[in-house]
Amino acid sequence: MAKNGTNSEDYTTPLRRLLLAVVILCLLGLFFIWRIDSPRVERFRAAVIDTVIPSFDWAMAPVTATVNIVRDFRSYQRIYEQNQELRRELRQMTAWKEAALQLEQENAKLRDLNNVRLDPRLTYITGVVLADSGSPFRQSVLINVGSRDGIVDGWATMDGTGLVGRISGVGPNTSRVIMLTDATSRIPATIQPSGQRALIVGDNTSAPPIDFLESPDQVRPGDRIVTSGDGDVFPPGLLIGQVAQDPGGRLRTRLAADYERLEFLRVLRDHGARRVSNPSALILPETPPGATDAAAAEPEQ
Amino acid sequence: MDSGALQIWGMRLLFVLLTLLILFFHLLPLNPAPSQWASPDLLVAMVFAWAVRRPEYVPILLVTGVMLLADMMLQRPPGLWSVLVVCATEWLKSRERRQRETTFFLEWLTFAGTLIVITILYRAVMMVLILAPGALMLSFVQVMMTIAIYPAVVGVSYFIFGVRRSAPGDMDRLGRTL
Repeated sequence: MAKNGTNSEDYTTPLRRLLLAVVILCLLGLFFIWRIDSPRVERFRAAVIDTVIPSFDWAMAPVTATVNIVRDFRSYQRIYEQNQELRRELRQMTAWKEAALQLEQENAKLRDLNNVRLDPRLTYITGVVLADSGSPFRQSVLINVGSRDGIVDGWATMDGTGLVGRISGVGPNTSRVIMLTDATSRIPATIQPSGQRALIVGDNTSAPPIDFLESPDQVRPGDRIVTSGDGDVFPPGLLIGQVAQDPGGRLRTRLAADYERLEFLRVLRDHGARRVSNPSALILPETPPGATDAAAAEPEQ
Repeated sequence: MDSGALQIWGMRLLFVLLTLLILFFHLLPLNPAPSQWASPDLLVAMVFAWAVRRPEYVPILLVTGVMLLADMMLQRPPGLWSVLVVCATEWLKSRERRQRETTFFLEWLTFAGTLIVITILYRAVMMVLILAPGALMLSFVQVMMTIAIYPAVVGVSYFIFGVRRSAPGDMDRLGRTL
């Protein structure tokens, strides 16, 4: 019996080794293809997610809702303190509301005087958050609108108040929003009263640091941060958050969007956004620097 | 098809279902804000725990498919983590025959060592290829959590799903000893 076993193993072991080698080669090949030509593989990934996640959705929505209800229920334990807190905030807000109303009236009057029309290009599509990134190393969410609804890579997404992130990866029914907190996110911004330009650099924490600031002395905690529109990344003037200072003295962003609870996201239609169609378009200029103006001016065949 | 083969295919199906369940809970949009806390990698713990006990429940192609799906769904570089897990699983399977008499504690140590090695390799390859491997602390927390949860995964597999090492008298369907 034992001899039989070893005999048949002699046949199966080389086959198994061969299979292992083939599998390893395929996986490594896929990984290197992804590293070399990631847009294509990422499109494939978006397609996989686009087919898998909507089939999970019937179960995901109720489970998420149940967990949130249980969480809310737990928060009833400190309902009295919350109530007091809300009352205090409400008093402050009433004052703000008064100020806002006055400003709105003034604004309307001035607009009327100048015959201003608001920019109608910034309309939005609202999507529901379907899923998380699923990994603590990536900060992104999946929303239930996709290329079928006209979503295009690179558009800005906001929750009710502030900027949340950027569309990156669109499937027919879903699209992925890379949030400002993701380690790959870099958003050009302006800090408001001083007009300083800076980059909001995501680093996988809830308060992304402010980088490439020309003179940090002109910036104080509490200043408003809005998108600057540099590089055609986002339309200018979208609220990102406020400046805050961490204990180490580094300037960070307190984000205006409520990242703890993202349920609905607005995707801003932005037809002026720069589209990146081929992998090198991010780094290289459209005409190579060596080409002369005459060559660039020649009509294409 | 006899009952033995039926049981093996049933357990493979169960493995796939459990994988989908784990992915499902990873993807729930409960708290999209970043945290300093990383949840354990239950999938790897389950694959290793099953591979050590019953290699025939987790054949190489099944592990490959499952890990590749996880790579795709969890926004990891496709293929890298899968290839490491597949290699580690095959290595654990080849040791399985010798490991049969060892204690659980030794198995736990082997698991911890394997996981640490493949995590280091994963991060090293990402660094060499200029990909951001993410915060070191987060990886560390994740590895520690996975090592800590391993006995629970083994316990659940053993008592609820009945994944236990084959007893000395067990035969496979061709009549060979396992």
